[in-house]
Amino acid sequence: MANTFQALADPTRRKILDLLREKPRLVGDLVDLLDISQPGVSKQLKVLREVGLVQVRIDAQRRWYELRPDPLIEVDTWLGAYRQLWDARFDRLDTYLSELQRNEKENDE
Amino acid sequence: MTNNSTVTIEQGDIIVERIFDAPRDLVWQAWTDPKHFMQWWGPQGFTSPLADIDLRVGGKYHLGMTSPDGQQTMYNIGTYTEITPPERLVFTQSMADADGNLVSPASMGMTDMPDETEVIVTLEDVDGKTKLTLRQIGFPESQMTDMAGGGWAQAFEKLAATLS
Repeated sequence: MANTFQALADPTRRKILDLLREKPRLVGDLVDLLDISQPGVSKQLKVLREVGLVQVRIDAQRRWYELRPDPLIEVDTWLGAYRQLWDARFDRLDTYLSELQRNEKENDE
Repeated sequence: MTNNSTVTIEQGDIIVERIFDAPRDLVWQAWTDPKHFMQWWGPQGFTSPLADIDLRVGGKYHLGMTSPDGQQTMYNIGTYTEITPPERLVFTQSMADADGNLVSPASMGMTDMPDETEVIVTLEDVDGKTKLTLRQIGFPESQMTDMAGGGWAQAFEKLAATLS
């Protein structure tokens, strides 16, 4: 997961992932859309491929770059576990705070 | 399962936000008074055999929670590093044993968890209610991410929406 975070930390790489999220792209398309040099785009694609966020599909002469969701699923699952933990805990805090305030009111009457 | 907390990640930190229908002072008490704290911190049905809390900067805590069937007790330890009532509480958190020694998650097969995380709790008054923001940091990834990245919590949420 560390690699996924590292890959996501760069704004250009995030833009590339956004574009691939819409549909698979050729390097040339990404160069045009991002207004970055071809070597620059290729370098970022290499990083994204190394961490498994992007894969290449070869179709005749063309190389289509596609998004791979697996690393994102891993992070989302990890995040989900924390979401559940804190949600449940805060639900109990919520209930407890309501009880406390109800008891305070009853004591005042 | 309810889903009232907003959870995002920023540079490897977990950020959780929630509004509580209670005044800030009361929420602060719930976090800092041991008799209140153990009423909600542990999972449903768990009992608390132990709640040593030394609430001062540099003070430590040692908490235990026993499962409903009485078979398993989990312990946590940590140190308070900032206490600014009623708005900011910062403490470290680790797994521990009954004697208060640190237990590494890796030793229990949890390889994505660090030995110690830091938890930052801020409470904000919002028209008599309290907005609680909790930030849990110390995940290994957070040391590796580009701090100048910025805004990638939103980026991640967008990308995560791709997932089927």
